[in-house]
Amino acid sequence: MEIGKISLHKTTGLKKAEKSNNKLTTNPFGVSFKGNVIQADVFEAGKKSSPVNKIAEKSKLYASILVSGINNFNEAFKSRINSVISFGKKMTTDVMDTLERIGNTEIKFDMEGIKNKMFPDRQYSVKQLSNKSVGELKSLWNDIETTEI
Amino acid sequence: MEKINKIKNIIQALGEHEDSKAAIELLTEMGTNSPDDEIREYTAQTLIRKNTHEALRVVLISKGKGINDLSARVAMASINELLALKDKKEAVKILDDTIKMHSDEEVRNTARSVRALMTFS
Repeated sequence: MEIGKISLHKTTGLKKAEKSNNKLTTNPFGVSFKGNVIQADVFEAGKKSSPVNKIAEKSKLYASILVSGINNFNEAFKSRINSVISFGKKMTTDVMDTLERIGNTEIKFDMEGIKNKMFPDRQYSVKQLSNKSVGELKSLWNDIETTEI
Repeated sequence: MEKINKIKNIIQALGEHEDSKAAIELLTEMGTNSPDDEIREYTAQTLIRKNTHEALRVVLISKGKGINDLSARVAMASINELLALKDKKEAVKILDDTIKMHSDEEVRNTARSVRALMTFS
C-alpha cells in the first residue's frame, strides 16, 4: 500500500528488501520514507547517536507516528462507515415498510370528475368525445347549439 | 373553448366513431343542415374522408349539400377534399351514376364538372 510518499511493504516486499539490505531485519514493519526503506528499528534503544543520527532517528520516529496515525485513521473511518451503512440499512427498511403500507392502502379518486372540474373544456376533447355513443354526441351537440351563442 | 371548436370536435369524433352508420346519419342531419358555413364545410370534409358509399352519397348527390352547397366555400372545400382522396374509385362511381340518372339537372352538371376535375387530377 502506498500513501503519499510513505509505503508499507507486505511480507513479500519485506523479503525483497531483506535481500537488498540485511539491516532491515531490525525494522519488522518494513517502513520506508521518501522511497527509502527505514533500516533501523525506531524503537531500538541504547544506541549512541550523533546529531546527524538524531535527526535521522527523529525522521524515523515521525514516519512511525504517521504510520500509526494512518492505522488509527483507518480504524476510525471503518467504524464511521459501518455506522453510515447501518443507518442506510435502517432507512431502506423503513422506506420499504412505508411503501408496503402505502401499497396496501386503497385510495380512490374520481380523477375524471376532478379533471373535468379543473378543465371544463376537457370533456369536449376529441379523445373524450370518441368514448361517447352517437346518441350522447347528438344531445351534446344539441346542448351546445341551444345554450351557447 | 368556443362553440365552433366544440362542434368541430364532435364532428371529428363522429368521423372516427365505430358506429359508422349512426354517425353518418347524425352528420347528415345536424352537420350538413347547419346554418353555419364552417360547420357544413367541416361536416362535408369529414364525410368525404370516411370514403364510404353512404357518406359520399350525402355530399355528392344531395342538393344543397357538399359539392352542391350554395356556399362556394363549402362546395370548393368539398371538391378539394374529393381531389385529395387516395382512393377515388367509390366517388367516381357515384358521380358517374349521378351524371346518368339524377333527376336534377343542376346536380348532374355539378357532378359532371367534379368528375372532369377528378379525371385530370
